Amino acid sequence: MSDTPVMDRLIARTVERQIPLNVHLDLTYRCNERCVHCYLDHEDYGELTTAEAKDILDQLAAAGTLFLTLSGGEIFLRKDFFELLAYARRLAFDLSLKTNALLIDTERAARLRQLGVRRIQISIYSADPAVHDAITKVRGSLARSIRAIHFLKSQGLQVKIACPLMKQNLMGYRSVQKLAEELDVPYILDLTITPKMDGDVGVLEMRSSGRDLLPVLQDPLFHPSANGSPEGTKSARPTGSSVSSGVEVELYHDIPCSAGHNSCYISPYGDVYPCVQMPMPTGNLRHQKFEEVWYGSSAMRQVRAIRESQLPLCASCSIRKYCERCPGLAQMEGGDLLAPYERACELAELNARLAGVENPVSAFHQQQKAQADRSMLPVKVANPGLVQIVPITANQLGGQW
Amino acid sequence: MTDLNPVRNPLLAWRMIEGEVVVISPEDSSVHELNETASFIWNALNGERTSAEIAALLSKEYDVVPEEALAHTQELIVSLQEKKLLLVTQEVGSGEHV
Repeated sequence: MSDTPVMDRLIARTVERQIPLNVHLDLTYRCNERCVHCYLDHEDYGELTTAEAKDILDQLAAAGTLFLTLSGGEIFLRKDFFELLAYARRLAFDLSLKTNALLIDTERAARLRQLGVRRIQISIYSADPAVHDAITKVRGSLARSIRAIHFLKSQGLQVKIACPLMKQNLMGYRSVQKLAEELDVPYILDLTITPKMDGDVGVLEMRSSGRDLLPVLQDPLFHPSANGSPEGTKSARPTGSSVSSGVEVELYHDIPCSAGHNSCYISPYGDVYPCVQMPMPTGNLRHQKFEEVWYGSSAMRQVRAIRESQLPLCASCSIRKYCERCPGLAQMEGGDLLAPYERACELAELNARLAGVENPVSAFHQQQKAQADRSMLPVKVANPGLVQIVPITANQLGGQW
Repeated sequence: MTDLNPVRNPLLAWRMIEGEVVVISPEDSSVHELNETASFIWNALNGERTSAEIAALLSKEYDVVPEEALAHTQELIVSLQEKKLLLVTQEVGSGEHV
């Protein structure tokens, strides 16, 4: 985002006043791709009607939402998509879209331009069609997405490539960087693979292990800003979360992120969550007004109360500054908004090691080790005079090592 | 002094937040923050009022002399037009188009 001082003031004000500056609205979970890592259920269980969606847009505008991200599923599968987009334009939102772009042709690209869409994020998994199409499970999808990028660029629209990295495409990140350069668009590489919204964690099998990530994280091309690329160039800060809503700052003092403070997520069924990565239901806009949910929900207030300095274990972690702990993932992966979770600790230790920290161990892993060590202390058994050593392995403890 | 007839660029994004208007340019994505009086003028831009009419509202709301209000209003309108946040569709009185 440009104009950082103005944006910083805006974010500070909206966090302080709890104004929902930034909203991510999924219009559908239906999709014309079947990506292997996707966290969504693509069945339609009764999406918001056109009238319901317009009413929500009215409410968001009145509540102070400026940045609106429309996503899915695949948004172009909604027959009323352009009607909703035109409605959002009249309400003067700053409009961003997330799409696979398969359904964007020259005419639709022109309409997006006419409707003042400012940014369009498109998922590209590899420059190799075999890899990309195997992830999307749609033959020819890479070629179609790239063709759409050309259509959008020819209209002068801002396009960004988002590339979630997983086992299937991890080592293809350089090809995505090269493709982005050829297309003259910025890109984001994302290591986040989340559990499905119904809680199924099977999709986490797609994640690359820490051992596999190490050479990638060591690659200066993966961190071009640390390698001398000036800030503001297309390749600066290419990593992050492609799921997050778009207003990316490091301004949130002692709060983990914007979720529930000045941003939230709304599902195609009207459910309101603090973030798309934090599926804690806080209310439903078919039965409640947005402001009632935003200001009145106890779950939303619970999320707002999280302070990094008060996290039970993480606050005392010696490698905290290398950690990108997400409260939503903590909830989804560990069942506790406030607790550490394995993936965050694993990545924090990797990052700390790369930064030169000797033998970095997270507070969570130290605790697990201490518990395991205690379990291996001599244990007195019933027969006095006899002492038996009872070793217990980490696997028996159920801990993740 | 000519009388300007400004209208907001229909492609821009803007919102009134805590009494001050924030505008995002569709041209270069730059973010603009208007102070209280500029926000008052922005909110008065309904596509029908001329700069003189807006200045009269400003003069009344903030108790400033009409000449000063008109100068301030027109200066802001020109500045926002240069940034392509406003489209000035006509000049009333001079017979010229801007």
